[in-house]
Amino acid sequence: MTHYAMVIDLNTCVGCNACMAACAMENQTPIWDNKWRTYVHDKEIGTGEDIHRRFFPRLCNHCSNPACMSVCPSGATYQLENGIVQVDEDLCLGCRACALACPYDARYEVTYADVKQGRAFFGEEAYRRRRPSMDKCDFCADRVAVGQKPACVETCVGSARQFGDLDNPDDPVAKLVDSGMARPLLAYLGTQPNVYYIDDLKRRG
Amino acid sequence: MDVTTGFYTQDFWTWWLALYLYLGGLGAATLTTTFLTDMYMKPHPQLVLWGALSGIAMLSLGSAMLFFHLLDHMAVIHILNPMVLINQPNAWIAWGTQFIVWMMVWGFLYALPYMMDSEFFGRIPIVKNILAWRLVQKIGRTCGRHCRLCGWLATINGIGTVIYTGLLLQSFPAVALWHNPGVPLLFTVSAFSTAMAFLLLVLNLAIKNREEDRPLRLFYERTDLILIAVELVILFSFFFYLQRGSQSAAVSAQLLWNNWGWLIGFIGFGLLVPFFLELKGVIKGWNSPAPIMLASVLVLMGGYLLRHYFMYAGVYARPW
Repeated sequence: MTHYAMVIDLNTCVGCNACMAACAMENQTPIWDNKWRTYVHDKEIGTGEDIHRRFFPRLCNHCSNPACMSVCPSGATYQLENGIVQVDEDLCLGCRACALACPYDARYEVTYADVKQGRAFFGEEAYRRRRPSMDKCDFCADRVAVGQKPACVETCVGSARQFGDLDNPDDPVAKLVDSGMARPLLAYLGTQPNVYYIDDLKRRG
Repeated sequence: MDVTTGFYTQDFWTWWLALYLYLGGLGAATLTTTFLTDMYMKPHPQLVLWGALSGIAMLSLGSAMLFFHLLDHMAVIHILNPMVLINQPNAWIAWGTQFIVWMMVWGFLYALPYMMDSEFFGRIPIVKNILAWRLVQKIGRTCGRHCRLCGWLATINGIGTVIYTGLLLQSFPAVALWHNPGVPLLFTVSAFSTAMAFLLLVLNLAIKNREEDRPLRLFYERTDLILIAVELVILFSFFFYLQRGSQSAAVSAQLLWNNWGWLIGFIGFGLLVPFFLELKGVIKGWNSPAPIMLASVLVLMGGYLLRHYFMYAGVYARPW
């Protein structure tokens, strides 16, 4: 069985935002309204001269116990056997309960206005979305299904993002997770997230 | 990674949803209280008509707040189908929608025989004609024969609706203020307290202070007094729970207990003032119904403020 996961190395993320751009074009997100499936936070940490800039990429954590899925009243949020959590835009009411349930701020709204703007921005024929709904990262499930990596992983110049199969012990991602070097966010909430981070602050002392 | 933790409130659900939770709880508790009163305390057609119709109006208005807040209004059809409970048994909105719909259906059917006997409804042109239809007459007579069944089906769905308003917020795990068993309890107590207040207003203003309703009004006053006291105890527990909990809880505590609207508006005027007004009414009595009516209005205001501030004070602690 395949169990997809992502490891993000905060030491090598240079904050170029290429992942955001690649994701936005691949998944046609409403960037005109500053809505992204993945977002890179830019923060200064430290005091005085001992200060450094941290780039923190964020996306849906494709939790094994997804709170967004259990609160979804229509079943629009569902999970594939490979662990990817997806949204069916035809079933989604847009009640936003998933957005409140998600600890990782992974959800955003696609409104009627966004759908209209999307047709103009991406082109009438190219734009795939038909209805408003809540939206989020799906690990580029269509690309993954044909053996490609998610767009953000493919484009990452610092190789900060790695994508792999946790059930394959030879996969570099599985090795990083097994070693304990890569850790999940907010694991205590019981969501069992599948995006792991390699900390940069330890190495910086 | 913890040094970068940031604290955020959400803006997905604002006063629209606070109003939805408030009207859902108030409407359902009003219907439930009215029917239980009519079935087991004192048969009271006027109270049933006022309670059932205003409760249905509140539930409809509350549901409209949720409906207009949806991103895709057409997709609401997916949760109106009762089969949704089999597909999504963990989703409280699915349960809540079914509770609200069936509460309104059984609530209306319970009130229908009273409507058919009512002089007031017999004078309203279109309603008078509809009530005279043979099918409606037949349904009304059947419901009249099985009024306890209709009443209990409405009551079960009503209690479900009231508890649901708290369970919904409880189902969001990242927010300590919401994700705890105190929330359904607090919202349930608050919903029944506001329902008592609303029915006291109905008895004093609409059904006009009839002497024969005096024991009923006193019962509602006493029950409301107890419910307000319980609400204060729950809030006292929340205060200490939030002080020494997670970071999310601590920031929620700061937001709530540094806010004058919460402190003065909700706890002061929404709970303490009506508590003492009703306490004096129960112990020594008032010469006029005005203090109890004032207390009722304040309780109704406080019920909304509770949900309003709860919605805005939910804090997410995020590691970026």
